[in-house]
Amino acid sequence: MIGINRNLGFDRYSGLYLWASLIIVFSIWQPRLFPTSATVHSVAANRAVAAVLALGVMIPLIGGVFDLAIGATANLATLSAVLLITNGHSIAVAVIVAILIGALIGAINGFIVVRLRVGSFIATLGMASVLAAVQIIVTGNSQPRSPSNSTWTALTQTKVLGFQIIVLYMLIIAAVLWWGLRHTPAGRYLYAIGSSPEAARLSGVRVDFYTWMSLIASGTLAGIAGVLYASLSGPSLSYGPALLLPAFAAVFLGSTQFSPGRYNVWGSILAIYVLATGVKGLQLVTDVVWLDLMFSGGALIAAVAVAGGRQRAGAEAKRRELVRQEDHHDRSSMGEPSAPAGEDG
Amino acid sequence: MQAADMSTPGALGPSVSTSALRIESLTKTFVGGRALDGVELNIAPGEIHALLGENGSGKSTLIKVLAGYHRPDPGSLLQIGGLDLEVGSAHSSHALGARFVHQDLGLVESASISDNLAFGPGFPTKWGTIRSRRTRLRATAALEQMELDLDPGALIESLSPAQKTGVAVARALLADSVPDSGQPAGDVQLLVLDEPTARLPDSEVEHLLEIVRTVADRGIGVLYVTHRLDEVFQIAERASVLRDGVKVASEPVAGLTRDALLHHLLGAALEQPHRLNIADESSSAAGQPKATLSVDRLTSDVLTDVSFEVFPGEVVGVAGITGSGRDALCATIFGARARDEGTVHIRSEILPARRPDLAMSRDVAYVPAERKLQGCFLDLSARENISIANLRDFWRVPLLSRTKETAITKRWFERLGVRPREAIGQPLSSFSGGNQQKVVFGKWFQRVPVMFLLDEPTQGVDVGAKAELHSALFDAAQEGAAILMSSSDVDELVTVCDRVIVMRSGRIADTLHGDQINVHSITRSALGMAGDVVEPGSESANAVAS
Repeated sequence: MIGINRNLGFDRYSGLYLWASLIIVFSIWQPRLFPTSATVHSVAANRAVAAVLALGVMIPLIGGVFDLAIGATANLATLSAVLLITNGHSIAVAVIVAILIGALIGAINGFIVVRLRVGSFIATLGMASVLAAVQIIVTGNSQPRSPSNSTWTALTQTKVLGFQIIVLYMLIIAAVLWWGLRHTPAGRYLYAIGSSPEAARLSGVRVDFYTWMSLIASGTLAGIAGVLYASLSGPSLSYGPALLLPAFAAVFLGSTQFSPGRYNVWGSILAIYVLATGVKGLQLVTDVVWLDLMFSGGALIAAVAVAGGRQRAGAEAKRRELVRQEDHHDRSSMGEPSAPAGEDG
Repeated sequence: MQAADMSTPGALGPSVSTSALRIESLTKTFVGGRALDGVELNIAPGEIHALLGENGSGKSTLIKVLAGYHRPDPGSLLQIGGLDLEVGSAHSSHALGARFVHQDLGLVESASISDNLAFGPGFPTKWGTIRSRRTRLRATAALEQMELDLDPGALIESLSPAQKTGVAVARALLADSVPDSGQPAGDVQLLVLDEPTARLPDSEVEHLLEIVRTVADRGIGVLYVTHRLDEVFQIAERASVLRDGVKVASEPVAGLTRDALLHHLLGAALEQPHRLNIADESSSAAGQPKATLSVDRLTSDVLTDVSFEVFPGEVVGVAGITGSGRDALCATIFGARARDEGTVHIRSEILPARRPDLAMSRDVAYVPAERKLQGCFLDLSARENISIANLRDFWRVPLLSRTKETAITKRWFERLGVRPREAIGQPLSSFSGGNQQKVVFGKWFQRVPVMFLLDEPTQGVDVGAKAELHSALFDAAQEGAAILMSSSDVDELVTVCDRVIVMRSGRIADTLHGDQINVHSITRSALGMAGDVVEPGSESANAVAS
């Protein structure tokens, strides 16, 4: 009953098909506005920060840990960078300090999760609130002025092949993470921890260490995303938390692509841009403000429900079948005190 | 009022001579063979009937048939309270008045007694709101019926093990109507207790037996499954013994001796040893002075003062009933479980507590009993499962060598006969249990350990695969690895072990060598009747005594 989906890799690459059809539909619908290089360049650059944040969310998520503070971290990094520059520090100092702030917050999150044994969901939710408070303390709740420094804006807005260079940064980060997660032991360990922490521990994986590192990585990426945003769009008091849900949405959506069932780099990036394409196209048709939110949220729920549900159903059916076979084949387990009899009382 | 009904069970049934449980020519065939073969069993109302049998004798299958989980072969007759059980229907089993208390009691530890008693039948409510006073009253009544002097508001976690079992029994016996059934929602006719004392300390057993007697006094037939022979004589009126799916005896306990019971349990044929002759290299290995593993006064929540050594090339088995500490020993040595005291040395290097990674760096391998939770990664591929503990071998800066990984996975698939052979990249969940276990072994073999710690190493593995795993283990032993294998499958221990450590109540009760290693003596010793089998003066026996 689940054999039909195998052809054309529709399961794994449904996002690509969807992307292609969105592009075709909007190109026909808005032939003068949509299929232009300006559209391509602006969508690519505008979503680069969200893409970096999505990758940041993804790393701890692979190990089964949520980082809900990533939006607040990025926001704080943005404001720190801007304030440092307006107070006369060099761009290099501003960039490094802002990224270090992100890493430090990640390390604190790691400490709370690994050492204090607070669930990551609660720990980072609390941290997000604490960071929002710190942000008000630092800024006095008034938006600082944008640094009028052309080198600073050039950091992300220099053109490379028509694209703003921030797109290149994002792709480099993605490539590095893809390598780290797919082709190094650390990445493998992280996936193993996400699959079964106890089995990982008993296979010699230092679960606490890698969990901690994954949170530091997500904090660092949030710092980088914050710097990129500051350079691209200037300071904002509230963009970070608003990007949290889209980041998670992209990662969950992405896990239905390329290697279904696994959070993966290119799936997340693809999801970001499929959604962006849809939103952009609709924005050309109508100018309502709520489109982005509605489209992202709706697409997330629909896609994960359909794809994830189907995968789970497939896996579950397979597992049940195996259990049944095992039950039949295996005489030795019939005498086991902990056999399934324990469940049907 | 309900208590009054219960005390006159015969009045409810269609005839006065109704049995609580009547089984005739019950046969259950699985693909692998016959689990039950023409079993008959009769339990009168108010009778406590003990059911004994080795692991794999068919006890669990019998219970599952009664519970409606398994469908027996056609021609089997099953009656509960005089009415035919609709086979394979859990609903029918419940409606006819069969209740089950499993070893895992299924109580919510953090909730109160009265809540636990209400989870099954539902809370009494008014306009959707729980009527707490009625819930409490109902719980009080249920506890009183069981003669349990407990506060219904007490949390389950604050109770003693026997009290918990008592609450579980009370919950099973709660009168609950079965509203949507066409069948009469009869009273409880039969209570099945599956090894209720397996996890109880000795001091608690008496209390539990009291509870069981109270139930029987209400006219309910009790099927009491146990491993402990003492209890049979203390509580049961009759006892039945299953062996290899066949009922070998069903006798009044009054006329029964322990030896007769043991004879039924084990059968004469099993007493001759049929182990492989692998003692050759181990005897020469025993001459070497240096032990691979030496455990000194290891103590934890379930282990007390455990000391022993394992030498290179030796296969040492750990036997014992559930709860004897058998199932915790390997995990505690490896560091998967906490330990309170004692030291562990691997080749005279000390092994710290709770550090599986350090144990692995000392070339120790550990196969846990809970494969699905602790042993493997179901949603990672077989390839990744095999390489996870060996990633350093595949790390060629800057990439993990996929080619080498695949080649080595293929080699272990070949070597251990994992099926399907092409499925190297498939998630482990798509393999059968036996093949999953082979993959787990592949992971460890790849590391070439000097010490194997194995918990139920061939659980869920069919006979052929079992032999393949054993021979791979023998190869490792031949090359000098030491193997400590804990198993509830006594036959397996007899087949592969050079020496068997028998655990009882967290201590090493006996150490069996050579000819002593047979099903008979292992079982006797595990059940605490060792004196006539084991010669005193074996080194470990002395160590424990001191």
